Order: sequence, then C-alpha cells, then structure tokens
Amino acid sequence: MSEDVDRARAVTNQETGATVPSHRSSAKPARQGQSGKDHPVTAISRRALLATATALVTPAFAGRAFAQTKVLKIGAPLPLTGALAPEGLKQRRGYEIWADAVNSAGGVKVGNERVKVELIFADYESNTPRAAQAVERMITQSQVSAVFGPYGSGAVKASSTVTERYRVPMLAPTASAREVYDQGHKFLFGTLAPNDAVTIPLARFMLSVVPNLKRMTILSRNDLFPLALGQQMEQAAKQSAIEVASFQRYPIGAMDHASALTEMAATKPDWVFVTGYTNDLILVRRQMHELKFTARVITMLTGPSYKEFIDALGPLAEQISSVSWWEPVLPYRGVGPFATSEDYAKAYEKRYNVVPDYGEASSTACAVALQMAAEKAQSIDPIALRDALVGLDILTFYGPIKFGPNGQIESQKCPVFQLQGGKRIIVAPADVSQGKLQIIS
Amino acid sequence: MIGQVLLNGLLLGGLYASIAAGFSLVWGVMSVINLLHGTLVVLGGYLAWMAFHFLGLHPLVALAPVALLVALFGAGLQASVLGRVVGAPVLVTLVITFGLDLITRNGLLLGFGADFRTIRPSWTLGTAEIVGLKIPLDRTIAASAALAMTVALYFLLRRSWLGRAIIAVRMDRDAAALMGVRVQHAYIAAFALSAALAGAAGALLGLVFPISPLQSDGYLGTAFTVCVLGGLGSVVGAVAGGVLLGLVESVAGFAFGAENASIVSFVLLILLLAVRPEGLLGRRGYA
Repeated sequence: MSEDVDRARAVTNQETGATVPSHRSSAKPARQGQSGKDHPVTAISRRALLATATALVTPAFAGRAFAQTKVLKIGAPLPLTGALAPEGLKQRRGYEIWADAVNSAGGVKVGNERVKVELIFADYESNTPRAAQAVERMITQSQVSAVFGPYGSGAVKASSTVTERYRVPMLAPTASAREVYDQGHKFLFGTLAPNDAVTIPLARFMLSVVPNLKRMTILSRNDLFPLALGQQMEQAAKQSAIEVASFQRYPIGAMDHASALTEMAATKPDWVFVTGYTNDLILVRRQMHELKFTARVITMLTGPSYKEFIDALGPLAEQISSVSWWEPVLPYRGVGPFATSEDYAKAYEKRYNVVPDYGEASSTACAVALQMAAEKAQSIDPIALRDALVGLDILTFYGPIKFGPNGQIESQKCPVFQLQGGKRIIVAPADVSQGKLQIIS
Repeated sequence: MIGQVLLNGLLLGGLYASIAAGFSLVWGVMSVINLLHGTLVVLGGYLAWMAFHFLGLHPLVALAPVALLVALFGAGLQASVLGRVVGAPVLVTLVITFGLDLITRNGLLLGFGADFRTIRPSWTLGTAEIVGLKIPLDRTIAASAALAMTVALYFLLRRSWLGRAIIAVRMDRDAAALMGVRVQHAYIAAFALSAALAGAAGALLGLVFPISPLQSDGYLGTAFTVCVLGGLGSVVGAVAGGVLLGLVESVAGFAFGAENASIVSFVLLILLLAVRPEGLLGRRGYA
C-alpha cells in the first residue's frame, strides 16, 4: 500500500472515530459497519452512511495486507534520549533479547509457518506528545501489527488513544496506574499489576512483621504514577489502621526535599514511604541522612529495584525496602523462549552484563504475550491479535499472564524485597521469600 | 522547627547563588542570555566526578582544576563562536547558545550516558547538631564555598584591573576601547569567569545532588529566576536572589507543601517584577 493511500486511510479512520464513537464497542469493525444495527443511524445522509461504512471496512482489508508481509512488525516508541533514557534503554533491551531469541529459532509460529519478528524503534525524546506521534507514524507508515507501550503510565495513557483509534493492540510493559486502563480502551494491555496490588499486600505485610506499626508518612513525586502510588498507599494504610501523619508531594525536578522531610520528621513516623524515580529517591535518601531523619521502615518505589540506586547510595541504600513486579529469583517456569525466571536473568546478564529488573522483564513479558497471542490466533492481523490477547492465560518466566477486563494484568503477585548487603532480598510473599525484613534501628 | 526550615533555606540559597552568579555576569556584561549555563554547571559536576572516580580527589580539592578546565572551555567558545554575536539581537544569541547547549549536552549524554552518578567521598563530615538544629556539614561547606566564590568575584570585579576592564566594557564599549581596553579580550575573560563559576558550582553541587546531563534545565531555570529576583548587573544581587529563593522555597514548602513551593516563589517573582522590575539590587554596569 502506498504511503498516500495509507495516510488517506488514517484520516478516514480519524473522521470515523469522531463521528461514530460507538465503533469502539467491538473488535469487528467490518461486520458492524455492514449491518449498522449496533448504532441506529437516523438523520445521516446516504452518502455519509456509505462513507462511514467504507471507512469501517477499510481496516479489515488493511489487516489482510499485514498477513501477506510474512513479517511480524511491532512498533516500539522509546525514550532513548532525555530524562527517561535509562528506562528507555532497558525496555529496548527487553524487546531485543526476545526478538533475537525468537528469530534465531525461526520466528513466531503462526499456523503452519514461521514468521520473523521486526522491531521498529522510534525515539520520542522523553516527550510524551512525541510518543503519540511516533505511534501514529508506526501504524500509518510502517504498518505495524502491534505496538509496545512507551515508558510509564502517562505516556501510555496519551499514546494508547492512537492505537485505539487505529485498532492496533498496544502492550504496555511499564504502565501500572489503573487510570491508564480505566479509559474503556479495547486494544490496550499491560503487564504491570495495578498499584493497589502493590500497596495493599505491602501494608498487610508490614503490619504483620513490624511490631507496633502505627504511624507512617508518605512523600510522593507529583506525577501520574508516583502520585497514584502514594495515594493508593494512603488508602491501603487506612484500611490497615495505620495513621498517615503526613502526605507530602514534591514537584517534578525538585532539587531539595529538606522542608518536606523536616515536616515529616516532626511526626516521628514508624514507616516512611517515598515514591518517585531513581534520581529523586537518591536525593531524598541522602537528605534524610543529612537531616538524621530515619524510621523503623523506609520503603521507596521504584528506585531500589535498580542497580544505579544501590550503586549511587552505597551504605545508605541498606535496609530500604521496596516492592517489585518481578525478580530473577522467582520460581516461575512457562512458555516462550525463556523457560524460567532464572534462564531469562542469565541470558540477559550474559548479553548485557547487568542483572535485569522488572522493567526489562516486563518488556520481554509483553513480547512473549504477543508471541503467544499470534500462535493462538494463527494470525498477525492486529484485530485477531487483540482478540487472542483478551483470552490469553499463560504461564511464563515472568509469572502467569492473564489480562483483566480492562486490559491490565490480574494474575501477578508482587514480591516485597529489602536491600541487604547490596542485594535485593525477597521478604514476602512467604512462598518465595529469601530472608526476613530487617527493622531499622 | 522553623529554625531548621530557615537553615535548610539558607543552605539551599547558597547553592542557588553560586549557580546564578556566573549567569548574571554574562547577562550583565554582554547582554547574552547564556542558555548553555546549566550545562556548564553539569560539565563541572562530571569533571569533579571524574576527578573523584579516577584520581580519588575530593570535589573540594578538585574545585580549582575543574573551574579552570570549564573556564578554558568557555573561553574557547567565546573566542570562536560567541564573540561574533555580542551585541547581536537577543534572538541570535539565544539561538547560538541554545545550539551550543544542545551540542554540549548531547556530547555529555553520549560520553556519560543518562544514568545518574554520585560522588560519595569515603570521608564525610556528617551532620552536626546545635541547639536542636541539624546542620549537614558537607552541604554547609558546599554552600559556604559557593558564597565565598561569589564574594571573590565581587572583589575581582571591583579591585582588579581585569574586573574594572570588564565593567568598563559593559558601561561603554567604545570609550573602554579608547582607554586601551581590548574589548574582545574583556569579553573572553568575562565568559571564562562565568564558566569557571559554573564549573565550580557544578563540582560543589556534585557533593549534594546526583549528576546527570538532564539536570541542566533545572540549573538554568534556577539561575534565571535568581537573576531576575536579585537584579541583573550585581553580584550582591545574585547572592540576595539566591538566598531569598532558597528561603522562600523552604518556608513555602514547609507551610504549603513541597508541591506549592515553586508556585509561591514565582508569585513572589511576578509581584517583585511589578513593583521593582530591576530586581532587588539591579543596576546598570556590573559590580
């Protein structure tokens, strides 16, 4: 299909999306367009009806074009430069290790043939609007069958409206905020459990192992994911009868946390819970130390999952607890090119010389989910892939993958860990724990 | 507790002043809004990190060599590129410094990656406690050194031949040239001084903040705010602006929550601009 024709299709679809929004209620646009029964049309002219029907049918033909290419093209918008560059690199590696493993085995098994995988990357420079533009380009120009989500909840929320409009599935590896999945999208899937799947078990666990845990303070970055996590923690604390003595938010790019920490210290909390990204948390931990502010439990999300955090803080990182969405020591065994968590971690470390964290693993998990969906659907047509993803129920190195009604994974158990001796030691849940939570003295 | 909040603000303000002093100098003397300034601060941070990482030098020890290297870099830029646009319309200087910033920043990104690096000397002074006030000594030393550099700049501009030449060029370029001042040299000296201050500030900030090429926007924004607040064309203004901003952010963060601290400081900035557009201590010339 020439680029001009392709663009024309894009425009028509956009127009259709604006005039007949109810097409989102089904993943079968052609049938819906032909019958017209699903949404009664009363005062629309014959020509408009014909135009709408044509527009709705077109993606179905476009879908056939995808199948003829014999290559599974997947778009991957990534923040390869700018503030989120380290995270972008991790996601990229998570996809690449999967693609190379699959391609070296001949490709994804689609029906009776093997289809090679082609990843199409685009750098959106840590700039969310550009992520949405990149996704649109990938769909209209590169004709991808699926898109891997950009980094973080905010960018996924913004760009998933594009995949929804073009009816191409998006698999988001690093978006956990429920707000992303509560938009009624039918083509969005995510492999990070929602924030409350992190905070509620965390609060219960802390309550069970920390004697006299009564009061906590929360410090959150004023940004979609970290703030949502902080608010979920507040709710979880209330449910567990833990008093939230102070809830502070700090702005994006904050260079100083002393005033917030001074206020928090005055409440003498048993538990300090801080959310943000690696550099924020390094600074917060350093300033806590400078101000001699400590608590029996210090939990930070998501920095402690990353090696950079441990390297940057050295001894100050000790005994900080956190929650992860995946750890290399988890005992999972399943389908896909990497049989177990350990296999995956080893292959990754061999190739990139670092131990993967949940970001990389979740990126690979998205890819494995898509691979299994293609095998199940015996097709690489975007809509067939989407339908296969809806009913997917598989066990992988990442753990069980089954998407809930809103598209977000609902099968994940998040391990709580603590940094002990410079290593992440899982302390909960009990069936996978490697040690006990140390209370900070 | 309010004592602790004020102390936090003062320490932060000292660091802010050091970021802003060099920026103010170039703006005041050459009327160039140097968008590269934040990246020069970051460059100083990386040089200090390298000195620490490869040579084991404490940032306070590496301060002078780092400042010198960044100064040489700045002088080179002024002699080769920026010297051609002094006196050009503001948009031209903005575009040039923006371009230089992009190149330098992406060079740092390529060289060091976007990971955060920290300087963790094996010996730290820890935290002193006096009458209930917790004084982080490393931060205090960094803020004091930053203030000392700013004071040194003040005396350099007032008392030295070089300083008087820079100010003379600022006041009347043609008259200064007639009096035997080599105008281009004065510009190079001013930019090198500004870069030295930026580099030294970067080394000091490396003791406190994680270092990353992406911090430069934050530093530039701070420098800009402090200069407008304190008034252009005055070293004392940079110090006053820095300390005021640090104090306001600290007190506002404590009183209204950290997320509202910048709202309060920018409202204050707007009010000040309405009442006193030249800033707290702004004046023509530079001293």
